[in-house]
Amino acid sequence: MKKIYLDNAATTRTDPEALKAMIQYFSGIYGNPSSIHSFGQEAKNAMEHSRFIAADFINASPEEIIFTGSGTESDNLAIKGVAYANGFRKTHIITSAIEHHAVLESCHNLEQSGFKISYIPVDSYGFVKLDDIKKAISKNTLLISIMHANNEIGTIQPVEEIGKIARENDIYYHMDAVQTFGHINIDVDKIGVDLLSASAHKLYGPKGVGLLYKRKGVKISPIITGGSQEYKLRASTENVPGIVGFGKAIELSKILIENEIAVQTRLRDKFIKGVNENIKNAFLNGHPARRLPNNINFSFDFIEGEGILMGLDMEGIAASTGSACSSGIMEPSYVIKAIGRNSVLARGSVRFSLGRFNTEDEIDFALKTLIKLVKRLRKISPLIK
Amino acid sequence: MGKNKIKVKVMAAMSGGVDSSVAAYLLKKSGYEVTGVTMCLGISDNEKNLENPGQNIISKCCGMDSIKDAADVCSLLGINHYVYDFSVHMQEFIIKPFIESYLKGRTPNPCIECNRFLKFGILLEKAKVLGFDYIATGHYAGIVKVNGLPFLARALDRKKDQSYFLYSIMKKNLGNIIFPLHKLTKQEVRKIACDIGLKISDKKDSQEICFITNDNYRDFIKESKVKGKNITGKIIDTSGRILGEHHGVFNYTIGQRKGIGISASYPLYVQEINIAKNLVVVGSRSYLEKRRLIARDANLFVDKLPACAKAKIRYNHEEASCRIAVTDNDSLEVTFEQPQSAISPGQSIVFYKDDIVLGGAVISDCIH
Repeated sequence: MKKIYLDNAATTRTDPEALKAMIQYFSGIYGNPSSIHSFGQEAKNAMEHSRFIAADFINASPEEIIFTGSGTESDNLAIKGVAYANGFRKTHIITSAIEHHAVLESCHNLEQSGFKISYIPVDSYGFVKLDDIKKAISKNTLLISIMHANNEIGTIQPVEEIGKIARENDIYYHMDAVQTFGHINIDVDKIGVDLLSASAHKLYGPKGVGLLYKRKGVKISPIITGGSQEYKLRASTENVPGIVGFGKAIELSKILIENEIAVQTRLRDKFIKGVNENIKNAFLNGHPARRLPNNINFSFDFIEGEGILMGLDMEGIAASTGSACSSGIMEPSYVIKAIGRNSVLARGSVRFSLGRFNTEDEIDFALKTLIKLVKRLRKISPLIK
Repeated sequence: MGKNKIKVKVMAAMSGGVDSSVAAYLLKKSGYEVTGVTMCLGISDNEKNLENPGQNIISKCCGMDSIKDAADVCSLLGINHYVYDFSVHMQEFIIKPFIESYLKGRTPNPCIECNRFLKFGILLEKAKVLGFDYIATGHYAGIVKVNGLPFLARALDRKKDQSYFLYSIMKKNLGNIIFPLHKLTKQEVRKIACDIGLKISDKKDSQEICFITNDNYRDFIKESKVKGKNITGKIIDTSGRILGEHHGVFNYTIGQRKGIGISASYPLYVQEINIAKNLVVVGSRSYLEKRRLIARDANLFVDKLPACAKAKIRYNHEEASCRIAVTDNDSLEVTFEQPQSAISPGQSIVFYKDDIVLGGAVISDCIH
């Protein structure tokens, strides 16, 4: 059976070119970048090359890039780091109701230390309302943390406007760009972002590497201590092969991004159109146009996502769902609920996320399979009254 | 292609317990293509722990910990595992009717309803739609062929036999079911679990109703339904004399002795629950013994029930001989040869011929 991977928002296949670049940094060039001998210097050079590539990719300077262990770590470092460095002089953070858990839980942690957090609700497309952000701002507001695009529904936030609001009010702006970095163009100056999180494995790089962009002059405290690596902001011997792979992945994205946006947008829209025309009571989650080029998310009434997922998996198609029992969470997706869907629709949500290695044939086959499957599952659904 | 024999596909319903895990293992060993599925019923383990601090937590099926156990077993067996969110169905088809039944003065059996609507209802239909040939569970029961047709049968291990709970399976589905533990004892199952290195091999058996967190269904109903309402009524004896007050009919089941709260010169048992008058009738043990009952909603595996058979009126009941008559409105009138203790409306009566289950029905009334 041919396998079709449509869960690229969860993780991507490491691009063979990125893997090739990494390989020599395990047993060949294996020095510790902190060592002063030639082994160390070679490793350091490779790492700094990646830093340069990453910085260049988002119109930043290399010294503004901190490599971390993951996107989640970057989110933690940005939010907690800014809070700690500020010495709790300002203790208010504005975020959205549909942030990734890495952001939400970092905020919860700070809440327990006395911070106040404003969770800005979203509209039915998943957009935060700028007025709500403005209204939430006080003299005590330290940080706005609102993601670039949502991982589940793909909605792209009006980040330039958010950046503008933050600048006007002298508030830091952190943007979780884990889903967008390498997929849509980012210019940190144009957006006006002070902190930005990204992760390598979402753009065909290896797992276990992330980065935090930190604008010059923004003060953060480390959350991992015990060494002077990464400008003393992230102690740990650097993951040199991972960072090299990350750099290569960014290089590839830089070349391919325009074409990928065009191809994926076309396939995405074809798939969405196909679902809308062939499946009744299918609701697109997120905005039809202002969404990630690779994100498709539908709620199917009367059936739960895991049934669809299993049926697809048996046909070799990998997707994901907002029904989260298998991951040990009782409640269905908080994101789908935040855009106003009821629990049944939240449980019936399925996300297809396209990637570099998908072909049009695969998308056509997935669509055809989905249409058949939903019809069959609905026939037996006891929820249809 | 073409060289590989196409394997028969089985969906193994896995609760994370020993029985269903071993069942899945045995299927895999026999050469089936097995996929593990766990039903997520919306039961939270954490709440349980909070409610019973310091108490022994009996491992129950279908909570979050159990889902993880099932996933671990599948990973050990090298089979795929999926979780189905059945929490909405659980509420609609099992928990709501369970509460309603108690409020009507009956004694429901939610496990039978779960088998009817969830495991061998929605899950089985789903399995068919997804292209599975069979669904399998870790029940102690069997499917045997009689004249070429599949029938539900008792487990070889009579002590563990769970066929009583399974009579609600639809006849047309019997041919799509496998019970791999048919001929095994619990001891043998535990030994297999241990031999193949299942972590959960010494996990306790689940005993109580899975969605009741502290093993007290009365609190559960009070919490979910009757909070704040005045539901007290009278407790009377069989001659109509008022003996005291009750705190809601759902607190009582037929045959109950403990917790009536009235002292008498002889032990009192709940005889009857009169929902219309909000009365609980109590009396001595001898009054509990009755011979006749009416049962409805029959599910039969034979075209016609025989005039005489053996029957069980609850899981732990020792089967007894009875005569069966079908009345005009499709209900069954059953008369036991010997009087039976505590015939409880809401429970099911299941008919047997030797090891074969003929069918069953829900008891609606008992008659003196």
